[in-house]
Amino acid sequence: MPATSPAPAATVTLRSAEFRRSREVAWRTLDNLVSRVERKGLSRLSAEELRELPLLYRTAASSLSVARSIALDRNLILYLEGLVLRAFFVVYGPRTGIMEALAGFLKRGFPAAVRKAGWHILLATLAIAAGVIIGFMLVLPNENWFSVLVPETMAGGRGPASTAEQLRRTEIFAPWPGFVESFVVFASFLFRNNATVGIMTFGLGFFGGVPTLLLLGYQGVMLGAFFALHHNRGLLYDFIGWVSIHGVTEIGALILCGAGGLVIAEKVLFPGRYGRLDSLALAGKAAAGLAGGAVLMLFVAGIIEGGLRQLIASTPWRLAIGAATGLLWMAYFHSCGRREGHGPAA
Amino acid sequence: MAQRLDRINRLLDGITRNRREITTPEGVVLEVDIANHGERLVAFLIDFLFWMLATALLFLILGLTVIHGVSGSVTITIVLFLSFLLRNLYFIHFELQSQGATPGKRIVNLKVIDRSGGPLLPGAIIARNLTREVEIFLPLGLFFAVPKFGAGAEFWTAASYFGWAVALSALPFFNRDHLRAGDLIAGTMVISVPRRALLADLADSESRYVFTHKQLDAYGAFELQVLEELLRRPPSPDTWTMQQQVCDKICRKIGWADPVPPAEALSFLRAFYTAERAHLEREQEFGRYRADKNAAAGS
Repeated sequence: MPATSPAPAATVTLRSAEFRRSREVAWRTLDNLVSRVERKGLSRLSAEELRELPLLYRTAASSLSVARSIALDRNLILYLEGLVLRAFFVVYGPRTGIMEALAGFLKRGFPAAVRKAGWHILLATLAIAAGVIIGFMLVLPNENWFSVLVPETMAGGRGPASTAEQLRRTEIFAPWPGFVESFVVFASFLFRNNATVGIMTFGLGFFGGVPTLLLLGYQGVMLGAFFALHHNRGLLYDFIGWVSIHGVTEIGALILCGAGGLVIAEKVLFPGRYGRLDSLALAGKAAAGLAGGAVLMLFVAGIIEGGLRQLIASTPWRLAIGAATGLLWMAYFHSCGRREGHGPAA
Repeated sequence: MAQRLDRINRLLDGITRNRREITTPEGVVLEVDIANHGERLVAFLIDFLFWMLATALLFLILGLTVIHGVSGSVTITIVLFLSFLLRNLYFIHFELQSQGATPGKRIVNLKVIDRSGGPLLPGAIIARNLTREVEIFLPLGLFFAVPKFGAGAEFWTAASYFGWAVALSALPFFNRDHLRAGDLIAGTMVISVPRRALLADLADSESRYVFTHKQLDAYGAFELQVLEELLRRPPSPDTWTMQQQVCDKICRKIGWADPVPPAEALSFLRAFYTAERAHLEREQEFGRYRADKNAAAGS
């Protein structure tokens, strides 16, 4: 202190300053740990530090409560609020890696979401079934309906003008086009195409579910139109075999996407005893799980459709594989993840 | 609490932050700032850039090693499929690994949190990122895939894809927590977490000035914290002038008899800050919190 300045006239004791002096070391340690986790991840901490982290977090949280009631130092309170918030994210943040999360989703989350969405799945199935019947009934007596109902890209040259022989040769028992062409190009094209339809079906649930049902119905109508066309050529049995090998998986995925959309729609329209947003958040994860799982199913369907279907040129075998995939999916949805896990449901 | 700090923020920064309270499992109420539209857009653009760079790099490697000699359509298919996979894994991986922050969000100081203050579960992260596909990438991809924008059906198809993307991207503007569709579904929200340093305590332990209770009763917590901000400003001619003005104002208000020479203004202000804070904190301990100079003590 310079000699010119007068002697101190008063000594001030601040409880908040005392409080800060006694706790500051712990805050700085926590700040240090949290900063390191934020930069490099939890795995970089030593076992000792990991044990310390939640304790320091709770100390800081109680410091914040005390500071709010006794201190008027704005910087101190803001700092503690930020620190506790950051530590909160670290302590309560996700602890799983991406592979673990995906495995948990396949083992528990997806089948559980499917089991919970019973009537939504039923409704989506009925929408498709109704579409199939309508499409079949329309095209059966008058094949001109076919080109009205089925867009050019989906028809792929098939239509009222196709003969039975053409359909048999270029479609149902078309030759194997080779590995790259079938698995890389065709399967991927089918996957992207189907995933687009599926995700749309799901996303349209936001608009109250009616567009979802219409889109599902329309997919059914197209299928029904194909059935009728092949029925008129006497190829219905072979066509069902051709569709079933991948169709069981593909249509199943579409139904699940639709069911996800209907779950969303239900929560938007009838939020129940929670607010609309809360009820959407509660059901939304399961609904998105349905759609996400369905996209994985479509991936499988794309591989079967792009490759396997062309390799197996026998209708009974195709039907058998179709039925087997159906049984496998059923068994998976029915029995996987029944046991309650302790970890967070993915 | 929220209003108290908010008022000072408004005064100092001229901005009102959208604040929410979340309660941690320990029962501590934390205030969080909802992220702005601008911040979220910047974070997204940074992530988008990283994703593009990663994708480009991947294809450079693929192009130099594997794809050589394969037909164009195969290449395009591989490109589309891998970029789809890469961007979903990018967002999900980083939000899982660094507590709800992708690199872009970390640069802009944003975080994804559970709306109700619970832990952020992997399911929520996967859900909110898968929904991004429906919200933005899928309709935009379809929009660009429509071959020409001439007239008729194709125009309307393109328009509806584009309209869908615009409608869903505009969703954050129509709710108070700035939630996009993915946040709605996953029960999450995006908040801004600015980093703050713990600065030195301004309170001196010894004071050359003694103030009476009556003099200290002139102000409340709001004025005290504005004074704190003034004292924490980096020294500059501007700050110096402001300190002189505030010093004069305080002297007039509390009826300080001795004139304070300009060179002493800062130490006087610090002494007053210390005394005022000690006074207000003591009062607060007895339940007499005083919000500002207009509030009656004890309310």
